[in-house]
Amino acid sequence: MIKSHHVEKATGVGDPQCFKGEAGAAKFKVGDRVRIRNLPDIFYTRSQMYLREAEAVVVKLVYESPPAEDEAWDNTDSPEWFYSLLFKQTDLWPDYPQKFSGDTLETELSERWLEAV
Amino acid sequence: MSNSDDHDHDHNAAPMVEEISDFEVLEVAVRELCIEKGIFTQDDHNQWTEYMHTLGPLPAGRLVAKAWLDDDYKQLCIDDPVKASLAVGVDWVNSMPSKFGTPSDYCNPRILVDEPKVKHVVVCTLCSCYPRPILGQSPEWYRTPNYRRRMVRWPRQVLSEFGLQLPEDVEIRVADSNQKTRYVVMPTRPEGTDGWSEDQLAEIVTRDCLIGVAMPRADRKVDDKRHVHKAIHPYGH
Amino acid sequence: MSKSIPLLDKIGEEGRVWNDLREEYGVENPDPPWRVTLESTCEALNEGACVLPSLARRDEEDDLVDELYSHIPHPERQLLALAHSMIIRGIMTEEDLAQHLKVVEKRLNAA
Repeated sequence: MIKSHHVEKATGVGDPQCFKGEAGAAKFKVGDRVRIRNLPDIFYTRSQMYLREAEAVVVKLVYESPPAEDEAWDNTDSPEWFYSLLFKQTDLWPDYPQKFSGDTLETELSERWLEAV
Repeated sequence: MSNSDDHDHDHNAAPMVEEISDFEVLEVAVRELCIEKGIFTQDDHNQWTEYMHTLGPLPAGRLVAKAWLDDDYKQLCIDDPVKASLAVGVDWVNSMPSKFGTPSDYCNPRILVDEPKVKHVVVCTLCSCYPRPILGQSPEWYRTPNYRRRMVRWPRQVLSEFGLQLPEDVEIRVADSNQKTRYVVMPTRPEGTDGWSEDQLAEIVTRDCLIGVAMPRADRKVDDKRHVHKAIHPYGH
Repeated sequence: MSKSIPLLDKIGEEGRVWNDLREEYGVENPDPPWRVTLESTCEALNEGACVLPSLARRDEEDDLVDELYSHIPHPERQLLALAHSMIIRGIMTEEDLAQHLKVVEKRLNAA
């Protein structure tokens, strides 16, 4: 089995802090509207099925890190920006009651999962 | 024990279970086989165990109490939760044996600050990520498919099962902890606590308040007992 | 679909879970005393040689619990799933475990 952490690099610094500055310029900024891409799940992902093709607003650029899809296989070569995204519950679930249209869900995805709306 | 809801009881001569279960034997056997096969040493294991014993929800409760009393500290909790955690004795990076976090405990805490009209609640639909360094081990119900799958979809219903009825004009914001951020909810300070000290306030910020399934009350210092529901219609994620 | 492991099934069927024990003995602690050492084992398996990465273990635990151990409460089911993962990955064999269980049982009951 593979070692999934760059121990030396992260020791005393923290994960994801140790990848700071490695993702380059962020493609999206706070306030941008994005759509979640429906990429195939080949081996491993932490992008929930229920978010696919939904629209969201970027609320925070949270950190830079290898995406889970790479990190699960010890590939830390291509860190990406991670975004905290805010979804309207009524956009995620067709049967969500309209009277609670202010209800939201926040979660994080890496840049490869997002496309501009 | 690591679950600090019971720290007080630990000081009393608590009754013991005078019986060794097959599960207890299994736990010892698995651990010893790992050591025998050289996968880890007894020392490695002891370090983790010592660390786990230090964990519980008390530091997070204190962080909230401090923030209720000090606006500058509250801002620090929002801007730099790693630094804010140091003030309550939690070092996200260096206190655990690995010194960089683990997949269970990545070093990116975030404090979700409730407002009078916005209520946060935390879930991890993919597994059961939990801010263990500052909140201890997750409760059983947090790990159940029932909670994980239903909280994102029917949050108001699940919260009402927890005894928390949210008024219609309060927005609920579910945080699904799916990557490297570990969320802690900072609830609003309840009525009836004017003039209270930090110690007094910290006592009412229970674990469930910090996950977001309960709101602190001046008259409650321990979480209500939870019945663990089974998922009736589980669906894949 | 995961294949069941007779040795672990037997423990699942015959083992007394903490919820029952603590009720019988009037113990208030919600977790068995071995929960912390179990969590430490999981962390130690992830660290160093990274024999069983936490993410993989946790995913596998979900599947195994769904398919085989859903009737068993936590943390007993976490323990069964861990032992199961270790056996199917060849970290230990069922025979290794069966043999060592006997040794441990004898020792703990003698103490």
